[in-house]
Amino acid sequence: MLDGEPLVRWRWLGDHLGYLGDLTADHAVIALVPVLLALLLAVPLGLACARFPRLYQPLAAVFNVVYALPSLAVFVVLIPYTGLATRETVMVPLTCYALAVLLPTTVDGLRAVPEPVRQAATALGYGPWRRLAAVELPASVPYLIGGLRVAAVSSISLAAVGALVGRGGLGYLFVDGFQRTFPTPILAGIVLVALLALATDLLLVAARRVLAPWARGVAR
Amino acid sequence: MIRFEGAAKRHPDGTVAVRGLDLEVPAGRTTVLVGPSGCGKTTILRMVNRMVVPTAGRVLLDGADVASLPAAGLRRGIGYVIQQAGLFPHRRVIDNVATVPRLLGWDRKRARARAAELLELVGLPPETARRYPAQLSGGQQQRVGVARALAADPPVLLMDEPFSAVDPLVRAGLQEELLRIQGELGKTVLFVTHDIEEAVRLGDRVVVLREHGEIAQLADPRTLLTAPADAGVAAFLGRDRGLRGLGLRPAATVPLDDLRPSYEEWRLVLDPDGRPEHWARGTERHPAPVFAPARDSLRSALDAALLAPSGRAVAVDATGRAVGTASRTAVVEALAADPTPSTADPATATATATATATADPIPGQVPHAGR
Repeated sequence: MLDGEPLVRWRWLGDHLGYLGDLTADHAVIALVPVLLALLLAVPLGLACARFPRLYQPLAAVFNVVYALPSLAVFVVLIPYTGLATRETVMVPLTCYALAVLLPTTVDGLRAVPEPVRQAATALGYGPWRRLAAVELPASVPYLIGGLRVAAVSSISLAAVGALVGRGGLGYLFVDGFQRTFPTPILAGIVLVALLALATDLLLVAARRVLAPWARGVAR
Repeated sequence: MIRFEGAAKRHPDGTVAVRGLDLEVPAGRTTVLVGPSGCGKTTILRMVNRMVVPTAGRVLLDGADVASLPAAGLRRGIGYVIQQAGLFPHRRVIDNVATVPRLLGWDRKRARARAAELLELVGLPPETARRYPAQLSGGQQQRVGVARALAADPPVLLMDEPFSAVDPLVRAGLQEELLRIQGELGKTVLFVTHDIEEAVRLGDRVVVLREHGEIAQLADPRTLLTAPADAGVAAFLGRDRGLRGLGLRPAATVPLDDLRPSYEEWRLVLDPDGRPEHWARGTERHPAPVFAPARDSLRSALDAALLAPSGRAVAVDATGRAVGTASRTAVVEALAADPTPSTADPATATATATATATADPIPGQVPHAGR
C-alpha cells in the first residue's frame, strides 16, 4: 500500500483490543437490533398479508423501493430528523432494509405450508386467524430463519456504511484507515465484520435446530 | 344421520359441481361415494362440514341444517381424513392426534392420554408418538390421520380418498384396519374414492356417481356387482364383476372334507403344530394354498382350490391349523348354492335406478347390462 508501511501492524492491534471489541459490540447492536425490529413487524404484517392477499403487493412494492435506495443517501436524508452520528440515523433505514427481506420470506413461508395441511387444519376446526398463528406460522419457522440469515448478514455489511454519517461501528475502522492511509485498521475491520456475520449466521442455524427440530433432514 | 336435500353447488363461473343431491347417509354405517374424477364426490363430502357451502338445497346433520351451526364447532365434531394426511409438520405425532381435544379445551395431559389410546387403536407402536410426521412412512402418516380424526370421538367421519396415495399392499392393510375399527366403533362414515374395489370392500352401501353428483346407482356392494343399474355403471365396475362379487361372499358355506392321509396320489404334509406345509407326490413338493372359512371369502376359497396341485383348498382355523379340505367341485357347488340376481329388461333397469336414487334398487329387477 505505502512505502515502508506493513500491511498489518500487530502492535497496533495489541494496543487497541478493547477499542476493537467496543466497535464490534456497537456494530452488532446497530446491525442486529434493526433485524429484530423488522422481524417483530414482518410477522404481523406477513400474517395480515396471508389473510388478506390484496395487502401484499402494495406493501412489498413499498419495501422493494426502499431496498433499492442507496443506503448512504438514505442516511444523509435522515440526518435532519434523527441527527448526525446518532444510532437512529443508521438503524431506521436498516430496519426498512431487513423488513424488505423478511416480509416476503414470511409471506412465502406461510404460503409454502402444503395445502393439505391447511385444509386439514380448517377441517379440524381452526378458525382462519387461529390456523395462521397455530399451524401456518410455526410450520414456516424454517423459512423465517432462512430469511433472518439473509437479512442479518446483509445488515451487518450495510451497517459499516453508517460510519460515513458518524455511526458505523466497525465501519469507522475503514474511514480511519483510508484517511490515515493506514491499512491495519481496514484489515481488522474486514476480518471482524466477517467474523460477526459468521457468528450471527451460526447462531441462527443453531436457533433453527432448537425452534424447528422437525425440519432437520427436510430439504429447505 | 346425514341428509342431503337437493344440495347443489354451482361455482361463481357458472360451472356446476353438483346439480342437486338427495341422499340419506344412515348412522353407524359406512357409505361410500364412488365415481370418476370430477363427478363432485369431494364437493358433496365437504358440504357436510361446511368446507363447501351449497348454493341451493341444504345438508342436515341429525336434523339440524349445518348452515345454521358455527363452522369451527361443527367441524370439531366431525372427523376428517384426506389423501395426503395433512399432518402438521411441526407437531409430534402425539400432539397431531391430540389436536381436536386441545381445541375443545382438554388439558394437555388428558389430550395426550387420549391420543395415545388412538395410536394404539390404529395399530401404531407407542414409540411413534414422539416422532415428527416427516419421519413416518406414507402408510403410517395415514394411520395418524385416522387417529387424529377420531381423537375427540366424533359420531361422523368424513374420509376423502384417504388411502389413494399409498402403495397397494399398504392400502389393503389400511382398509382392513378401517373395517376393524369401524366394527368396533360404529361411526357414521362417509367415504369418497375413485376406486371401485375399495368402494365394494369398505362400503355397507355404495353410491355410484356420474357427472354433477348425480346418483347412477345406490346399492349394497353385492347387488352393485351382480346387478349394475345400467351400462355406464357396469363399465365403471369393470371386468370380472362376477368373480369380484365372490370376494363379498363368506367362504363359510363351503362344505369341508375331513383331513385324510392322502388324496389320490397327493399327500398333505403338516408341520408339528398341524399347520399345512405343502402338498407332496413322490419327491415333488408344492405349496399348499389355504383359506380360513371363518374369515375369508368364496373368492379366496376358489383361488386356493384352483392353485392347489391336488385340486383341494386347505381350510385352516384362526391359528392356521388345517381343519379340512375343499375340492374344486365343493367350492363351485357353494357358489351355485347362492343364486345371483337374474337378468331383466335394460330399459326398466335404468328407470329403476333413477327412481330409487335414495333407496336400494330391488335385486332381481336389474340386468347385467353392457356385458
